Amino acid sequence: MMGALFQRIAPLLALLALIVAITLLAGIADTVTARRVILFLVNVVCVVGLYVFMGNSGVLNFSSVGFMAIGAYVAALLTMPTGPKGMFLPDLPSWLAAAELPALAGPFLGGFFCAVVAVVVGMPIMRLSGIAAAIATFSLMFICYIVLGNWTSMTGGQISLMGLKAYVGLWTACAFAVGAVVVAFAYQETRWALALRASREDAVAAQASGIRVARLRLGAFTLGAFLCGVGGALYGHFQGTLRVESFYLDPTFLLVTMLVVGGMRSLTGAVVGCLVISLLTEILRLVEVGIPLPGTGVTLTAAAGFGDVVLAVLMLVILLFRPDGITGGREILGHLARRSG
Amino acid sequence: MTVLLAIDDLAVSYGRIAALRGVSLHVDSGEIVAIVGPNGAGKSTLLSCIAGLVRPAGGTVLFRGDPIAGQALERTVRRGIALVPEGRHVFAGLTVLENLRLGATIRTDRAKVAEEIDTYMDLFPILSERRHTPAGTLSGGEQQMLVIARGVLSSPTLLMLDEPSLGLAPKITDQVYDLIEQVRARGVTVLVVEQNADRALRSSDRTYVLNTGAVRLAGASADLRGRADFEAAYFGLDLPGAGA
Amino acid sequence: MNSAVQIAVDALSLGGLYALTALGIGLIFSVMRLANFAHAELVTCSAYVLFALSGHPLVMAFSGAVLVAVLLAVITERIAFRPLRRADPTTMMIASFAVSMLIQKLLIFGLGSRPKSLDPVPFLSQAVSIGPTQVSLLKLVTIGVCAVLLLALTLFLKRTSFGLQMRAAAENFTMAQLTGVRANAVIVVAFALSGVLAAVVALLFAAQSGFVQPRLGVPLMITAFVATVIGGMGSLPGAVIGGLLVGIVTTLLQAYLPPDLRPFREAFLFALVILALLVRPNGLFPARGLKERI
Repeated sequence: MMGALFQRIAPLLALLALIVAITLLAGIADTVTARRVILFLVNVVCVVGLYVFMGNSGVLNFSSVGFMAIGAYVAALLTMPTGPKGMFLPDLPSWLAAAELPALAGPFLGGFFCAVVAVVVGMPIMRLSGIAAAIATFSLMFICYIVLGNWTSMTGGQISLMGLKAYVGLWTACAFAVGAVVVAFAYQETRWALALRASREDAVAAQASGIRVARLRLGAFTLGAFLCGVGGALYGHFQGTLRVESFYLDPTFLLVTMLVVGGMRSLTGAVVGCLVISLLTEILRLVEVGIPLPGTGVTLTAAAGFGDVVLAVLMLVILLFRPDGITGGREILGHLARRSG
Repeated sequence: MTVLLAIDDLAVSYGRIAALRGVSLHVDSGEIVAIVGPNGAGKSTLLSCIAGLVRPAGGTVLFRGDPIAGQALERTVRRGIALVPEGRHVFAGLTVLENLRLGATIRTDRAKVAEEIDTYMDLFPILSERRHTPAGTLSGGEQQMLVIARGVLSSPTLLMLDEPSLGLAPKITDQVYDLIEQVRARGVTVLVVEQNADRALRSSDRTYVLNTGAVRLAGASADLRGRADFEAAYFGLDLPGAGA
Repeated sequence: MNSAVQIAVDALSLGGLYALTALGIGLIFSVMRLANFAHAELVTCSAYVLFALSGHPLVMAFSGAVLVAVLLAVITERIAFRPLRRADPTTMMIASFAVSMLIQKLLIFGLGSRPKSLDPVPFLSQAVSIGPTQVSLLKLVTIGVCAVLLLALTLFLKRTSFGLQMRAAAENFTMAQLTGVRANAVIVVAFALSGVLAAVVALLFAAQSGFVQPRLGVPLMITAFVATVIGGMGSLPGAVIGGLLVGIVTTLLQAYLPPDLRPFREAFLFALVILALLVRPNGLFPARGLKERI
């Protein structure tokens, strides 16, 4: 019995081990590297959130960054110290201006608020498929960007919001990343997720056999939005500042790239894609600064912005030559689970 | 008489399912050749393969001596092969006249094309009446006439028709086969796939019976009519495991 | 004070730009089911060419813009989209997103992200009177150019043999090929036409905004997507009408929303799209043959 359970959750254990190992390594590294790893862990939460919907339903989703933004601002508004809050956002309603909840309530309330929003806007959107769904979710991201960017009394509009409690350190981020992976894994083992994946292969047949595709999609969309909201809150409380501009096209592309490069049809793909792209970004950043080639006296440098170009090229190359991503849609150690039936 | 189309040991499979297993047949210039067989016999697959819609797993397809299997779709018609697929694929949103003009996409002799289009309009007055209405509004029989005319307008050497009588009333079916006969009279070779065996035998020179992906019987249509082994081949009674 | 004439001119000139952009996107979608994000960069790159050639005669600058947009459209098709032609539409859409970001990043990398000002058609920056109201000559010309271009494209599609082939390919690509329509030719021409449309939009849009930056085309592209969805993806008349409608609604929202809510007008617009999709999931003018291929 124990053996069967172990085989079933082997992919999960492997992923958790990977995340914890990276965190441990970062613990002994310099501060700059540690900060990069925190960002990686926060991204894991968001990419896993994107995966929960996109991977299981097979429907494109460009809205996750919108939910990140919502989660980040909700958490900030509820937990910011009243002093800086009153300074940056003098026009807040009084109850909100007075609110100063415990820091850790932020991610959960931000995520919860996102889940509520997702249920409401998801109801119409989840009836769409293919291109129409993609455009609708893209519109959603754009709406978030416009509303948050112009709602000056709530968000400060185009001005950065500063003075958030920067409590997200290495182990906090690690705990949330672990939590996100566990939630996503638990979800994909449910029969709802199974039915949803069946609809991914053939929506019409799934519907014909009684699967309520729209409802299942809404469930995954809501859970995904929750995770993205949590991720957004963590991002804000890692940086200590918030800017609406950081929740627009660039991160949208980054998250989708991470998931597609890893392989959008497996949780391993989400985590591995996040890791690979984070590593690559880091290497490219070093190249932009300049890497001295040992022994030659030559320094390898590239102009700023080079890294972004390489990232986009990599994305295209993966799509053209390995559209199922690095993992090919398989879970790490997934063969164990399959053998156990 | 010269061999126009020669197929040798042709095999096609969809994944693990073999649709054709070692089919060999030939069509001579000027003939009307029928391929009959029950549902799932592989008839449509055979035509699709000749037209380039499906890649064969083995064997050869020679048209005028040139291998054509696996060629690009748009080259088929340029070689002189026109396919009228099953299901009357008119361009429903384009007008009747535009559908006919599309048939002549590869031709440059515009005056001649216009003349031929007029011939079809005279032949089927309904097409003339509806020339500027969307083809999707025509009835099933009218659409069938339209797609055959569209196929012939490319002035093919070989016209292939897939189930031209499917879902049509007997009277309309007669009209369709009259048209096929007229087309042959103008020197076009015809390869027609039919589920309606009786109809096919009456209107063709030679017939191949296809069942479960292989040729079971072949011969002059006049000889095959009423022969006992014809029905056996058609219904697969001669196959191992068939209910006796 | 906004008069009815002024609002009408604003609505039509904005709607015209959206219609041309939506048409460029719709042309490609109709023949290969690709929702091309990179259309934005066709507009942006054309605008940069106009900037680079400012000072030269308009004809020359504009020809350069058209040339670059057409080349870019055809090259992206060849490199990124042709190999994916048999992939599913979502993979193609992600690829076009990647192409779009790649070109944006290249522009930022090569030219910087700071806006550069340009005025390609200075002789249009004056007002003319229609009755008692003053309206911008540029906007009037925009309306005129859009109308002429729509008419020309309609004639091309309806009256020429190649236009007929494109419409046939849009309806049923395989059947069209069986009648001898060359797939590559149709798709390349669709991309080239979308390039021409993008260059025209770039000229008119850059003249109105007065500057160019690496993301110039993005909001236009997003709004045009919305227009094609409202009109019915794959339907060209739908794209045009959708574009005009979006222009009109945007202008009306701008004119009649309470001032506090005006910055949110795009949000209202996009909310309308989601609502429109609820009522008519395939748009106002659903394209034929779309169901079996999406």
